[in-house]
Amino acid sequence: MLTDRQTRSFLDPQVLSRLAAVPLLARRPMQGNVSGRHSSPHRGSSVEFAEYRKYVPGDDLRRLDWRAYGRSDRFYVKEFEADTNLRLILVIDTSGSMGFGSGSLNKIEYARKIAGTLGYLASQQGDAVGVTCAAEGIVKHIPAKQSPAHLRLIFDTIEEAVPNGPTQLVQVLHELSETVRQRAFVVVISDFFMPPAELSGCFQHLRFRRHDVALFHLLDPLEISFTFHRPMRFVDMEGGPSIFAEPSDIAERYGKALEQYLSELKQVVLESAVDYQRVQINEDYEQVLLQFLIRRTQTRGLR
Amino acid sequence: MIFLQPWLLLALPLILLPIIIHLINQWRFQTIPWAAMMFLLSAHKMARGYSRLRQWLIMLLRVLAIAALLFAVSRPLAGGWLGLAAGERGDTTLILLDRSPSMQWRNPGSAESKLKTACRQLRDLMASLQTDRYVVIDSVTYTPLSLQSADLLTDLSSAQAASSSADIPRLLEVAHHYVRDNKAGKTEIWICSDVASNDWESESGRWRSLRESFSAFPQSIRFHLLAYQRHEPSNLSIRVTDVRRLETSEKAELLISFRLTRTGKETDKLTVPVQWEIEGSRSSQTVELVGPRVDIRDHSIPIDRARKRGWGRVSIPTDINPADDDFYFVFDQPPPRKTLLVTDDPSIVRPLELAAQISSDPSVRATAEIVQPDQLTGVDWDQLALVLWQSALPQGVTEQLVTSFIDRGGQVAFFPPKTPTGDTFLGLRWTNWKSGNSTIPIDTWQSNEGPIARTMSGAALPVGDLEIRRYCGLEGECSKFAVLQGGEPLLARAPAGKGHAYLWTTTPSPADSSLGTNGVVLYAFVQRVIAAGADALSKSRQLIAGETPAVESKEWVILAETDQGLSTESAHHRGAYRSDDRLIAVNRSLAEDEGIPLSDDRVAGLFTGLDFSRVDDRAGSTNSMVQEIWRTFLIAMLLALIAEAILCLPKGTRKGAATK
Repeated sequence: MLTDRQTRSFLDPQVLSRLAAVPLLARRPMQGNVSGRHSSPHRGSSVEFAEYRKYVPGDDLRRLDWRAYGRSDRFYVKEFEADTNLRLILVIDTSGSMGFGSGSLNKIEYARKIAGTLGYLASQQGDAVGVTCAAEGIVKHIPAKQSPAHLRLIFDTIEEAVPNGPTQLVQVLHELSETVRQRAFVVVISDFFMPPAELSGCFQHLRFRRHDVALFHLLDPLEISFTFHRPMRFVDMEGGPSIFAEPSDIAERYGKALEQYLSELKQVVLESAVDYQRVQINEDYEQVLLQFLIRRTQTRGLR
Repeated sequence: MIFLQPWLLLALPLILLPIIIHLINQWRFQTIPWAAMMFLLSAHKMARGYSRLRQWLIMLLRVLAIAALLFAVSRPLAGGWLGLAAGERGDTTLILLDRSPSMQWRNPGSAESKLKTACRQLRDLMASLQTDRYVVIDSVTYTPLSLQSADLLTDLSSAQAASSSADIPRLLEVAHHYVRDNKAGKTEIWICSDVASNDWESESGRWRSLRESFSAFPQSIRFHLLAYQRHEPSNLSIRVTDVRRLETSEKAELLISFRLTRTGKETDKLTVPVQWEIEGSRSSQTVELVGPRVDIRDHSIPIDRARKRGWGRVSIPTDINPADDDFYFVFDQPPPRKTLLVTDDPSIVRPLELAAQISSDPSVRATAEIVQPDQLTGVDWDQLALVLWQSALPQGVTEQLVTSFIDRGGQVAFFPPKTPTGDTFLGLRWTNWKSGNSTIPIDTWQSNEGPIARTMSGAALPVGDLEIRRYCGLEGECSKFAVLQGGEPLLARAPAGKGHAYLWTTTPSPADSSLGTNGVVLYAFVQRVIAAGADALSKSRQLIAGETPAVESKEWVILAETDQGLSTESAHHRGAYRSDDRLIAVNRSLAEDEGIPLSDDRVAGLFTGLDFSRVDDRAGSTNSMVQEIWRTFLIAMLLALIAEAILCLPKGTRKGAATK
């Protein structure tokens, strides 16, 4: 595995070692197969007391609280929280628009860094990791598993992700909501260039299936500033029609459209209670992930 | 519009620069793969309407800014309609000046006449136009005068006031000859006039030939009329209609008839002070004027008995037209009214003798002498006012004597001889005597002019009552004053020199007509032609300005003059003059007092088919009609640039929308 880390362009060992100090936690209880760091919806054998409940025939007599029996002459069973691992599903948008980048990195490269780092961190803390590449449909899907060999497959998949074709992320997320049976931590990395109203449906769907959803919204600085000094022919990276325009003429309206989109998207993520992180791809991804991990640490505990 | 630096307009294609830059900018577009197409599509859809309009507006403003800059540096000239009419600069500019008295009108509150205003306006215009050649033709000399500089126009003697009417067609004829003879290139002809009908003679056939001749020029000839039409403020004019010196045993006096005329809409009673000046002695009177006109007859001004002849001047206070506020006259002892009767049969011409001997003016003595045709050599023709000829038409030496008599202003009346000889005089000859069964009625006669016209009181002469029993046929070209039934003339006039040759086709003999027995018509006729003949003998003459050739007036001595014009132009300036032993008074024509402006359509019609424009101005107008207007274009350019900058300003900032 050490060999793999040295050869993956999207992984930086120093960043990994620094981020390893902060756990990747789910905000909602997970249903894992083995013990782990994450809260479970079931009672378990951890050291953290959960509640008392009345003894019913069949309960393990070893879990009776004899002190409570001595005080109340009734049988109570003492229950503790269960810790489990989670299934991290990394959803990477590999549509054509993810190939855009005005700086040293384009969106897909940035997405690789985030996905690869999160996958490694999850694997290191014993969580199962899966990956789904989404474009016009599900381009590639690797189910979540917890093993070093599987992680290598995940990295290979991330590395081989190529931006191409139109986006059907909404349909893909709906499909994942149905196909991932157990609760999972779904991390979607995309530019989300689609109507926020459509996204709202799939986020609600994921939430309904009790998945913990986190979004990394990747935007290029040029897409925000829209600073051009000469007439431009804009070629749609997803195969749509090209537009010839004088940027100074439409910059104002472009800004208004972008502002409205971001406002609507913010409303959608608030209503859907998904973890939303807007990222400009010229930002340092380590800082982005660090803030992400810390924020999740602070909001842990929901069950 | 005209430009002082027109060659700079060659740079006008530069106004296409913004469009070319725009197109180049469009051609050097950059292609970029773009992810956020959903925003771009939305923005592009929204930007189609206003943004495209704004883009076109910006380009238009840039084009306008460059055009305005180019116009400004080309130094455009403009100013009212004159600037527009000025059009482009010609090679030669002809200025036709109407110097008639009506051009002396001023507007109330202004001291500048129409003529002065026109000259000043044209001077300013010419200074701006900077034509190669300026030529002035005025309505006094009718001679082209080249100017070195337009600044001289206002000080030119040819641009000063005169009392003679203008002949606009003649001015144009002179202009035509100038253009033809000097092979002038592109010519601008400026006519300065008040468009008075008597000056323009719009009914004259000369206009047609002028139009045709100007149209025949291959080069461009443009006509500009700088019109100063008469408005209707109240104006008074005075005119002497008759002057007689009357001497009795008690006193000597001048009996002067004059007319005071008022134009305008005012009809209130007006008291006008009238000042008389007789050989420097002044007197005054007041005249009450009610209505448009008052005629005063035989106003008496006592004079020294020893003053037999002299000059005088009547004037009223100066008003808006000083040219008609005074009038000159001269007086002299009336010449003797001497009539010569040439006849073969003195019994026939007895009524004629009586009519000639009885003077209509008791103060003037009239005589008549009867001679045979062969006794004419001993006659003093210079003392004759009238010759009554009842004999065969003069031939040979006699013909020369009579002709020269007529040429110097003498009057001759011919009556048919008993036996017509067929001799011809002035193209006319007697044919045969004709008679009818009864009297031959008179069909028509001229009662408005001529020797048998109505009397001054308006009563018609009883020409129709005449009984014509016999008449002699007349052959040849003549003007008919009375016509018998059947078309034969009763009284005709032959074309002659300064005087007149009248021909009666019957005699006063009772066998021929009732001319003698019913002598009213004959007496009036004889006295009128005697008076006309006596005027020619008189040593005092009342002349209308401009009707005497300038050559004759060169030797005139100025006794009094208002306009102070050149001595060579005395015949065109009102005043009193002396020529040898004759006294001459020169005044404006009657038509100048009545001058009715031509309608705009009529004036435009005179220039049909020619390149004609008209500019109306007012006397004393201080508005410069031509001025450089580059500042206007500069301001227009600045406004265009400011508007362009406002349209180009980005609205708000998009950073707010991009913040996280």
